[in-house]
Amino acid sequence: MTDTYHIPIISRGRIIPPGDGAVEFKGRGGATFITPDPHKHIHDLVLGNPVLLSDLQATPIRDIIDFLAEAGKRMRLDDNPYLQESFALALRAGGLAEPILRGVYEELPHMFDPSGMAALVDSTIGIEYLDGWVPSPAGPHCRLRAVGTRQLHITAGNVPVVAALTIVRGALTKSDILIKSPSNDPLTANAIMRTLIEIDANHPVVKHVAIAYWKGGDEYMDSQIVRTTRIDKITAWGGMSSMKNIQKFLTPGIDLTALNPKFSMTVIGKEALESEEAMDEAATGIAVISGFFNQTACSNTRLVYVESGTDDASLEKLDELGRKVVAAYTALPQQISTPAGKRNDDLEAELEAVSLEDEFYTVLGDTLTGGVVVSRFPDRVDFYEQLNNRVINIIPVENLLDVTKWCDDTTQTVGVYPESIRDRLLDPFALAGVQRLVPLEGGDPLRIFAVMQTLPPGMPHDGIEPLRRSVRWVIDHRPAGDVPPLNIAAE
Amino acid sequence: MNHSVADKVELSPERPEEWLQNGYEPLYELSWRDYENVQIAALKLRFERLRDSVAGLGKLAKREGITSADSVEDVLPLLFDHRIYKSYPLSIIEKRDVGRLNSWLDRLTTHDLSGVNLAGVNTVEGWLDRLDEFGMLVGHSTGTTGKLSFVPRSRTELPAWTRAYNEMTRSATDVDPATEHVETFFPGYRGGHHMMLKMLMLFNVPAAGGPEHYHTLYQTHIPADLSSLAGRMQAAEDRGELDKLGFDPALVEARNRLVEQAHNRERDLETWFGKLFEESRGKRVKLGGTAADLIRTARSGIAKDIRPEFGPGSFIMTGGGLKGMNDAPEDWEGFVKDYFGLDTIGMMYGMSEWMGGVGRCKAGDYHVMPHTIPILFDMDMKMLPRTGSQTGRFAFIDLLAQTYWGGFISGDQITIHWEEDCACGWKGPRIGPDIRRFSEMEGGDDKISCAGTAQTYNEFMDYISEV
Repeated sequence: MTDTYHIPIISRGRIIPPGDGAVEFKGRGGATFITPDPHKHIHDLVLGNPVLLSDLQATPIRDIIDFLAEAGKRMRLDDNPYLQESFALALRAGGLAEPILRGVYEELPHMFDPSGMAALVDSTIGIEYLDGWVPSPAGPHCRLRAVGTRQLHITAGNVPVVAALTIVRGALTKSDILIKSPSNDPLTANAIMRTLIEIDANHPVVKHVAIAYWKGGDEYMDSQIVRTTRIDKITAWGGMSSMKNIQKFLTPGIDLTALNPKFSMTVIGKEALESEEAMDEAATGIAVISGFFNQTACSNTRLVYVESGTDDASLEKLDELGRKVVAAYTALPQQISTPAGKRNDDLEAELEAVSLEDEFYTVLGDTLTGGVVVSRFPDRVDFYEQLNNRVINIIPVENLLDVTKWCDDTTQTVGVYPESIRDRLLDPFALAGVQRLVPLEGGDPLRIFAVMQTLPPGMPHDGIEPLRRSVRWVIDHRPAGDVPPLNIAAE
Repeated sequence: MNHSVADKVELSPERPEEWLQNGYEPLYELSWRDYENVQIAALKLRFERLRDSVAGLGKLAKREGITSADSVEDVLPLLFDHRIYKSYPLSIIEKRDVGRLNSWLDRLTTHDLSGVNLAGVNTVEGWLDRLDEFGMLVGHSTGTTGKLSFVPRSRTELPAWTRAYNEMTRSATDVDPATEHVETFFPGYRGGHHMMLKMLMLFNVPAAGGPEHYHTLYQTHIPADLSSLAGRMQAAEDRGELDKLGFDPALVEARNRLVEQAHNRERDLETWFGKLFEESRGKRVKLGGTAADLIRTARSGIAKDIRPEFGPGSFIMTGGGLKGMNDAPEDWEGFVKDYFGLDTIGMMYGMSEWMGGVGRCKAGDYHVMPHTIPILFDMDMKMLPRTGSQTGRFAFIDLLAQTYWGGFISGDQITIHWEEDCACGWKGPRIGPDIRRFSEMEGGDDKISCAGTAQTYNEFMDYISEV
């Protein structure tokens, strides 16, 4: 296995390999990255003059989609050497097991599906608004256009689809995007763009993508890039530290979309404990939503609130549910979830400590196969932020509406079982910060997973609409009665 | 067992708590290879006694299938880490369920805590007071992560603990705190059950010659309840629901006072040192405080051209390194000595969970005494060999612990030199001066992920963790 990875800078159709003056970064998993010194390539990364976006603006969405769709056909791990290289590195530096990462990569072509992309952009922005000036309902003297912007994307690397998502969204909003690659997936965005460059290095979409790796918190890079003259919008995935670094350079005029870390959960109604069948069905649903992608995603459940008392009989049922979840993990198909490659020592130590406290907690399973901590009183474990490796915490609550006190802007996805509890929770949960509720019923892991992963195009992300937010809405207000020139793209 | 060595300095495996009774010097003349077997024998006895009387240890031993401690390796799975000392649910503190907290702690000590009078107690601070009255000496941590750990020490350990602390001080400063009292100044809080403050009250006040000779920046301390609940109080306040949680108004009041105090700390510190310089001109003093406090004071003094003139034999006693300071002068000790006009900075290395903390030798290392069995782990928690110089995560068995289990895994990364060739002439395994948190060893990286949540940033805890 290679220890040293060459990570070129991708600059508007050009591939800048690490040559003289290249710099080294210690990557994750023992790998070393060699890249051109990003400090010396600021101008290759940013677009100082926004009017230079006119080539992309003049390209109809139809052409952009055709181009991306062509690229999508080549996003196959089997015969795309760029993807093979990024796959190997993501496997090593990231947190996903081989069969899962393979599954994620196999999804790539679908992200470039032409009808999906058309539906996405049309339902969120409206293609006509991107391709030309659209009269307002009040008449043609007042028109609107969605104009592309210059964006910095600090991407997350835990699931490599983020790289594809970012490139597709950038192109569909006719924007100029600069991607700062993450250390846990430094090559996927690179690989996708190299594939696009091979198709047409001069395509306007290609001309408006730059990708580089630099170390998070590099103040020189941040100070050079995060300027109103160079960047209009920032999309930042990830933790507090990356946010805090960026925030130092934020000024009015730069719009930050913070896709900050999320913490998802599941709520289970008392009906789930009333029969063996219901308990099995609930356990499978919990195992899927907690275990898919080996619990590395923001939408993975870590806390499971169950409508239950705390008397011995009720707690015994919760333990039983816990045992069923641990068993259900082992039955998950390997493209959804696998046992962990190695123990999580910190979490294991937490489990060991609380397992001595059987008055408060029951501990089942471990950090290799997955596990469950059942709280014997209505509160989550104090180390809930560390829950990982398919380990969850089951918490009894008298009334599921009490769960709102644990919800906030970080509560992204909530699994629900059975469906009969959904309607009474929906509105309070929505107000409390929850961003999405998903079903867990059916008992078939692949189906539950597929339903969870399949949203109609253009649905919001983390409670916001990133596409709408990444364009600038411009008004062309003329004297009433004035007739505007014919719109080229609207012909 | 090597009887000749054990006899010479009377290291009885029955009573490690008495090994120091002739001072540290004879112990530092012994090679660890000569008392290794006595340590194991002492460990075996400790384990036998504690296994049945410390419920938490008994349960862990049973689960791990360990019935006897015939080697250090035998007890590795039984070492506690900080999580064990805070494995209670935070919500029992929030609900002030002192009874459950008490029965939680009961499982970690040989003492029967069911006899503690808890009538009318509804704060952690009150609970710790009652434990002291009962004969315990429980100290808590700072709780920077929002949860306090409690180390279940008791008066049974006090004689050996006192001796160990005093000998540690003497070894690092050549001043015997048991006989040579020195007016002491400590720029921090006073009293309470925080382990470090508790130790200062137990050991440094007598060493100063009594409370009137021991001067602190503040005359109060941070109540344990506040350290523990600061995070939840902040969250409740943000929701406008602070009153809903039913906190004692006095606690809310104390919180506001402490936030105010923390804001003024730099100024207070300057005033306090200024007064100290004025009133102690020409007098012999002992200064405490963190390296950062001493450096800041020296810098601000130099800027204002204020210089202390202490009497001969004055010295500094500190520890903990440069925590929370990243712009320290390269030779900070020289800088501080020069400013304060002192020859000696006594340095110690220890932690709340360890009674066998050690003083720095003339060559700059920390020699471990026989009543501690030091252990190093690598990143995968495999024990490192006891040869040459090894760097890893520090764990130990504190044989001075008589009423609780002394096996503990710290969060520190240290280097131990097992060859006994220190320039100072002392023997025993010695710890090098480069001590850092284990988490730093794993290296910060900028992995970005959308999952999990960030640590709640809490301004208040940031202030008070500077104690």
